[in-house]
Amino acid sequence: MKLLKPSWVSHNGKAIFSVDIHPDGTKFATGGQGEDSGKVVIWNMAPVLRDEDEKNENIPKLLCQMDNHLACVNCVRWSNNGLCLASGGDDKLVMVWKKAAFIGPSTVFGSSSKLANVEQWRCVTILRSHTGDVMDVAWSPHDLWLASCSVDNTIVIWNARKFPEIVTTLKGHTGLVKGLTWDPVGKYIASQADDHSLKVWRTMDWQMDTNITKPFNECGGTTHVLRLSWSPDGQYLVSAHAMNNSGPTAQIIERDGWKTNMDFVGHRKAVTVVKFNPKIFKKKQRNGSAPKPSCPYCCCAVGSKDRSLSVWLTSLKRPLVVIHDLFDKSIMDITWTLNGLGMLVCSMDGTVAFLDFSQDELGDPLNEEEKNAIHQNIYGKSLAVTMDTQLSSTIIENPEMLKYQQERRAAPTSSGAQGASLENQTPKLTNVVNGESLEDIRKNLLKKQVETRTADGRRRITPLCIAQLDTGDFSPALFNSVPILPGSSVAPQLTPQLSSDSNTANSLCLKANQEPAASPTKTTDDKDSGTPAVNSASLKSNLLLTTASKIEPMKALDSRFTERSKPTPGVTSSPAAAAAMPVSTVDRVKDTSVLKDWKMKEETSSDSEDKVQKVPPLVKRKPEMEGAEVVEKRKKGRPRKDAKLMMAVPQAFPQTPVSVEKETVRVSAPAVTLKLPTPAVQKSFSSQVGTDSVLYLEVENEVSVVAGARLSQLKCSRDGREWDAVLPSRIAVVTGSSDVVAVACEDRTLSIYSSCGRRLLPSIMLPTPISALHCSGFFVMALTASATLSVWNVQKLTAVVKNESLNSILLGSDATVSSSMLTDQGVPVVGLSNGKSFCFSSSMETWNLIADKQDALVQCADFRNCVSAQDALGSVGPLATTQGRSLSAGRLASRLSSTPHHLQQGMTLAFLEQQLSSALVLRSSSEYRHWLLIYTRFIVNEGYEHRLRELCKDLLGPVHKSSTSSWEPTVLGLRKRDVLAEVLPVIGQNLRFQRLFTEYQDQLELLRLK
Amino acid sequence: MAKVQVLNVAVLDNPSPFGNPFQFEITFECMEDLPEDLEWKIIYVGSAESEEYDQTLDSVLVGPVPAGRHMFVFQADAPNTGLIPESDAVGVTVVLITCTYRGQEFIRIGYYVNNEYTDAELRENPPLKPDYGQLQRNILASNPRVTRFHINWEGCSEKMEDSENVDPAPNAMLPPSCPPGKAPPLGLMPDNSMDCL
Repeated sequence: MKLLKPSWVSHNGKAIFSVDIHPDGTKFATGGQGEDSGKVVIWNMAPVLRDEDEKNENIPKLLCQMDNHLACVNCVRWSNNGLCLASGGDDKLVMVWKKAAFIGPSTVFGSSSKLANVEQWRCVTILRSHTGDVMDVAWSPHDLWLASCSVDNTIVIWNARKFPEIVTTLKGHTGLVKGLTWDPVGKYIASQADDHSLKVWRTMDWQMDTNITKPFNECGGTTHVLRLSWSPDGQYLVSAHAMNNSGPTAQIIERDGWKTNMDFVGHRKAVTVVKFNPKIFKKKQRNGSAPKPSCPYCCCAVGSKDRSLSVWLTSLKRPLVVIHDLFDKSIMDITWTLNGLGMLVCSMDGTVAFLDFSQDELGDPLNEEEKNAIHQNIYGKSLAVTMDTQLSSTIIENPEMLKYQQERRAAPTSSGAQGASLENQTPKLTNVVNGESLEDIRKNLLKKQVETRTADGRRRITPLCIAQLDTGDFSPALFNSVPILPGSSVAPQLTPQLSSDSNTANSLCLKANQEPAASPTKTTDDKDSGTPAVNSASLKSNLLLTTASKIEPMKALDSRFTERSKPTPGVTSSPAAAAAMPVSTVDRVKDTSVLKDWKMKEETSSDSEDKVQKVPPLVKRKPEMEGAEVVEKRKKGRPRKDAKLMMAVPQAFPQTPVSVEKETVRVSAPAVTLKLPTPAVQKSFSSQVGTDSVLYLEVENEVSVVAGARLSQLKCSRDGREWDAVLPSRIAVVTGSSDVVAVACEDRTLSIYSSCGRRLLPSIMLPTPISALHCSGFFVMALTASATLSVWNVQKLTAVVKNESLNSILLGSDATVSSSMLTDQGVPVVGLSNGKSFCFSSSMETWNLIADKQDALVQCADFRNCVSAQDALGSVGPLATTQGRSLSAGRLASRLSSTPHHLQQGMTLAFLEQQLSSALVLRSSSEYRHWLLIYTRFIVNEGYEHRLRELCKDLLGPVHKSSTSSWEPTVLGLRKRDVLAEVLPVIGQNLRFQRLFTEYQDQLELLRLK
Repeated sequence: MAKVQVLNVAVLDNPSPFGNPFQFEITFECMEDLPEDLEWKIIYVGSAESEEYDQTLDSVLVGPVPAGRHMFVFQADAPNTGLIPESDAVGVTVVLITCTYRGQEFIRIGYYVNNEYTDAELRENPPLKPDYGQLQRNILASNPRVTRFHINWEGCSEKMEDSENVDPAPNAMLPPSCPPGKAPPLGLMPDNSMDCL
């Protein structure tokens, strides 16, 4: 046996009341007293188990600490499946914790320890029912119920599948209930209380089955806890504190007739905790000795107020081992590892000890099969989960799958190991809310936040919601605001620098226009610029402390931090309460005026700040500035007349309004059916287009008269290269792309120039005057006043779309064309004033609906769970542009929480499939990939096997070449099999689909080898 | 447990001239939708000697607060210099941010504030009457002192629930033979006092 006291497992010297090892053995939880609250801490097991891991600074010891309990935590217990942690405390509450997937490291604000939480455990349910301190909690086998007991003399059975539903409250104890244990067979639950009794309750009807009092008659209520335990074979129940002949014992109660003939004797003071080893053992077979058919036996640890620990085997008369003086105070809790060889013990003195046994000492643990056989033998039923659905997900059939599952499990540990470095990066991880970065939001928060006055003149601020709670399946959430991403809470260590050094803040803000290009180098940049700030901040603090000449006042001040202000009666809303605050009332009038002044001052100051912010990047941060430009220009290059959309970004793109106006002139006039508005011909105008290198177009109509003909001039410049062209008619619209410039004139001619000004074609004669003109690459799109649309590829000199009428989409409604665009792939898109957008598929020769703002599906789809952290930014491409950043997907999802799940599911499925097919017809490969991944995740989560199979089949294609197959190996330029390789890990996440996973994994592998 | 957790407070515009308004950017997380507004206050401690000189710089209601993570900037005017004792104008004091829900304070965030003349000459020989125009306010932003209080988040509270004064009711229900097993401040209970003997 090895014994270790990891000194780092501590609640800063405060008592540790409870300890429990996670079923997977990788972590353990402690509960106890915190600074001024209860405390639950989750620790990494690896540093306890291995010396080298303890020394490795990259391996975190503390994974997460939760201060949410308001008073001492008496008990922490992991659910059997390891997904949840339940804690109960003196605040009368039971909290159930779950690990949050999307949140990265963060610290507890204001806590002295600057240790970041590596894992995030979030309280998902608070169970309120007890009227006194909760002393013990226990999960039933298979996590069907959670039981909690309290000093209010009751035991509450909670429905663990439907928190906070109460199944029943067990009443009958007349003293503080201090311990609970479930029968491993699931038939009973036993409780021990200060009322000198141990009661066994039936789970069938929740009635008391037996009440055992005799061994407890002499007991006094002197122990803090009475943690009893049931043996894994279900045959014995061992109580905590019992008395036999005035000596403290742990009473053994046989299941058969609840006989109390045996006890564990030897402790000098009351037994506080008994814990059975989860394994059943059999004698180690020694080489040479004849295999004797020995009875299986159990192992039990007993902890006492006499600070000693004893470990017993039911096959031995004497304890296997007794350890004295391990602690300075009473033992409070014991937990075994699932393999039965390790044990953690905690004590009131605030320390934890780890005991490591060998199989030579305890024996050979029976495997699950043998254990089940014993149960089968005794009770006629096996404890193994027999439900079919669960079975398929509990047995891993294939080594590939096992490997994959193990890798998945290993991943968090390795990422945890990088905890520190990760934390530095996280603020970089783009936090975007509705397309705005968190830094952006922070910058403008004061200006943007909504402030109103209540009826009685008080200021009321509407806080900006920056993230939904990531509570997994417990609450529906909106898509629009992203789930809390790593680093979205700016680590408190960072903020002082951010705020105290405005330059740093600005430079951080610049990253707002994060292109993926914002590279690691810049991170270091920012870190560098950050460090002086830290130094100066810490310098300042030093200065502050040294210059603090008045030491006594400091002490006097200290009390102010903690003293609660006297309750100001009715402060919340009654006007009378205002009188209670003399300062504020006296200054009320003045306040408001001053406030106004302030508003103005602040406006001006922040304006100048804006300017300041703009200047340095030109000099120092050119690449970033270009990035910013790209965004702006793109906006302009794809004119969108949707006023609402423009409203959304006015501050970010100050120049845009100009172009908007121009555009509205062009198309805004309401059209008669199938008569599209034409732009008025102006004397001169200019515009800019392009994404990487900006193209400036300047038009001057009727610039000169030569021989009676009025000439118009077009001037183009790009990258400093200029050219101009002279045209015989007035120019109505001009536009360009990276490759061509298209000019439509009043006389219905369309001229196409190369990027250097070479005319590529003779003038094209349009049937009617131009309404809208777009270029993208070598594609030119013309929308004429008679509502016909043409798209040409001027490189190949072919027509992509030939004079296609908009009849089919315009007829029958009084909608008119409000916007139009041309994608990089030459797909024309037309947006109508009724919120619908269509694109024309040249291969099918059909108009396809790709966006509809009124579409109920969009608003009701809830696929937030399927959006991974890297996808949360949303996609960039024509589909996103058409549907708008303000894609309101999921906006109503939360309101629909009451709608049946299958309805929600169906709507989400329909929406996602719509997105996928729209991306396909728009030939937007990046968006296709984006939605395909979300779609796959969704159908994997929801278990749509047939759809999944069909999808995989199409992606894989025929394994053997055959001439008859019409399978295309690529989709939108993506190799389908590459896509499949990307999709497979997603499928692997649901064990239900492990056969599908294996099947396609194998075939992919096979194809790769070919 | 507290339904509202303060995740971070960033001190903006710091250090700054004494007359500048205080600006705190507060990020908090709420477990579930709050039916009522939160009330935030900034209190400037005018003198360490007495609470008499505490000034509530401003109080704002913040709401509606749905479940989720939220942020806002709380700006309040600089303290009224007329109410600060002259002897306490220069030096270290404290600014407090408090938040109450249904009239009960559940969190108090305190910062040390150092008011100092920027001018070396003034620093050496401070004028008897403080020259507020020359004073610079420096909030020790890196070291917030956070105190959390237990309040009743549910329903209409007739009385404040105080963690310091736990209702003795549960013990009253005990049979007389049974000594109270657990005194409220649990950590202090002399559970194994016998060991010390």
